[in-house]
Amino acid sequence: MKIIISNTSDPPIYQQIKNQIKDAIIHGELKEGEMLPSIRALANDLRVSVLTTRRVYDELESEGFITTKAGKGSFVAKENFELLLESKRHMVEVKLTEAWETARSLGISKDELYAMMDLLFEEGEE
Amino acid sequence: MHLHLVKKDFLLAKKYWIVLLIAAVVLPVFIQTKLTAGGEFPAFFLSTLYVVFLLFNTVSMMEDKYRGAALLCATPYTRTALVAAKYLFIFSVFFGCFILYTLAVLLSPVTISMIDMYDFGRALLLFTVIFGVLIPVQYRFGYEKSRYIFFFLVFLTPFVLPGIMKALQHDNAGTMSPLPFSSPLLGLLFVLLAFVIGGISLSITIRIYSTRNL
Amino acid sequence: MKPILEVNGLTKQLGNFQLKDVSFSLTEGCITGFIGVNGAGKTTTIKLLLGLIQKDAGEIHFFGENVQSKEREFKSRLGIVLDEGYFYEGLTLLEMKNIVAAAYSHWDNSLFNRNIERFGLSLNQKIETLSKGMRMKYAIALAISHHADLLIMDEPASGLDPQVRMELRDILLEYVADGKSVFLSSHITSDLDKVADTIILIDNGQIVFSEEKDILLDQHGLVKGDTKELNDQTRNLFLTLQETEYGFSGLTKDKASVRQQMNNTLIERPSIEDIMLSYIGR
Repeated sequence: MKIIISNTSDPPIYQQIKNQIKDAIIHGELKEGEMLPSIRALANDLRVSVLTTRRVYDELESEGFITTKAGKGSFVAKENFELLLESKRHMVEVKLTEAWETARSLGISKDELYAMMDLLFEEGEE
Repeated sequence: MHLHLVKKDFLLAKKYWIVLLIAAVVLPVFIQTKLTAGGEFPAFFLSTLYVVFLLFNTVSMMEDKYRGAALLCATPYTRTALVAAKYLFIFSVFFGCFILYTLAVLLSPVTISMIDMYDFGRALLLFTVIFGVLIPVQYRFGYEKSRYIFFFLVFLTPFVLPGIMKALQHDNAGTMSPLPFSSPLLGLLFVLLAFVIGGISLSITIRIYSTRNL
Repeated sequence: MKPILEVNGLTKQLGNFQLKDVSFSLTEGCITGFIGVNGAGKTTTIKLLLGLIQKDAGEIHFFGENVQSKEREFKSRLGIVLDEGYFYEGLTLLEMKNIVAAAYSHWDNSLFNRNIERFGLSLNQKIETLSKGMRMKYAIALAISHHADLLIMDEPASGLDPQVRMELRDILLEYVADGKSVFLSSHITSDLDKVADTIILIDNGQIVFSEEKDILLDQHGLVKGDTKELNDQTRNLFLTLQETEYGFSGLTKDKASVRQQMNNTLIERPSIEDIMLSYIGR
């Protein structure tokens, strides 16, 4: 798993780490049941505060991505995996709805919107 | 635990051990040969005073220079333990000198006689009075300031000492005490009194040291 | 994470210097950097914690217990590294160790010997012959060999060269790996604060802030841009501001407003040093 903390981008440090771990889980880089580094080990490696890595793990746990067993460590969660993808899909729907609403208020037509989406796909494939 | 603190004081003065060991043996013999009258008491007392004072002063100087007490007080060692160890140190040096003197008596080519109970008690009592004042003064005013006080006292000695010596010799010349005790018993009483005075001095020093900034 | 040490309203008048109502708490498993310029009150605070100086007012709790009532237990669970060492220089490492070790009921001599070996020290050496870096390592070996829960260090990095500071950093990170805590005071210019999880800034005898390091880094922004962007209103957004004829560079605690009110500026994450200097430089 690779985690890069940007010094210029705006999301808080813990958010950057959290998102990257989440992505690693969703893309299967971190397998179900796989053990995560301890909060101290992760903090030391990333040169961040142990309080930050703790916050990351706490939030990942409350969102169902990981489970923590006292005295054993944190692991990539098993059961909720489908649910997680579902929630990800839902998030896409929400964002798309937002985009659609904005587009509609600006008078952007359906075709134009599709064209924008096509452009994004093309750029992404490059 | 106290023993390690006492050992520390001995370690701090390790450079002077040999000199003082020799002094504790040779000085009494030397003083004895120089004093025409008076016997063993002044010889024992003065040589011991010399040795103990030098050791005490050396250790105090080291403590003042390195301020190790600050580190030790940050460990579970209590301030009370540190002070108690200092008294124990002084007492053990005194006792060591007594043993060395006894050895000197046995080995010396010049005839000097043993310290009896009465003289031991007297010496210990005088000792306790002197250090019972010295130690609290030093803890109260610190090494630097108290050194001036002691310098002044030492400066006075040439004027006072002959008088004291005379008194000591006179006392030793045979006039038995007017008290209705035998001299060994009186010696024992002196030892007890020394412990009382030592105890009072100890508690005063503990009190002084407990609020000192390290 | 629980608080391990809580300090409340610590006050002390010491000559002309006054420590005013100092309160903070240390979180278990964290390295807390206690930072300020010389004379800010770092050493005084540490000495008050250790009872080396008598406090005028305030309370100190260790794992919820008042340290005054359980002084010996408190101290037996602390590891101490004082800035000048406070060693009896004429003694050997072994002699000094024997004195210190006797104070602790949980002294682990094999752990001590492992550390001595690892730090490349020789027990028969006299303390006065140690270099600054060696002396610091010896002090650490003495401080961490009785399984202390909290390591308190006063200026451990002062006078050390960068390589030894790096080693010190690794030693500390290793020490906290199994949930132990460190409280270390440091100069602002020392890079040791990078290892800290939480930063407490003290200035002129008062706590300026006590905050997680990463939150400090997130909250503040180092803004760079054209001096044309600066006016009476936007200047107020900065804690410190440096202007040259080529542009300005300033530290803000209000990144959102900067973004709103100023165009074409670059906002970077500042260093801890930038942040601290901006709070005491004013």
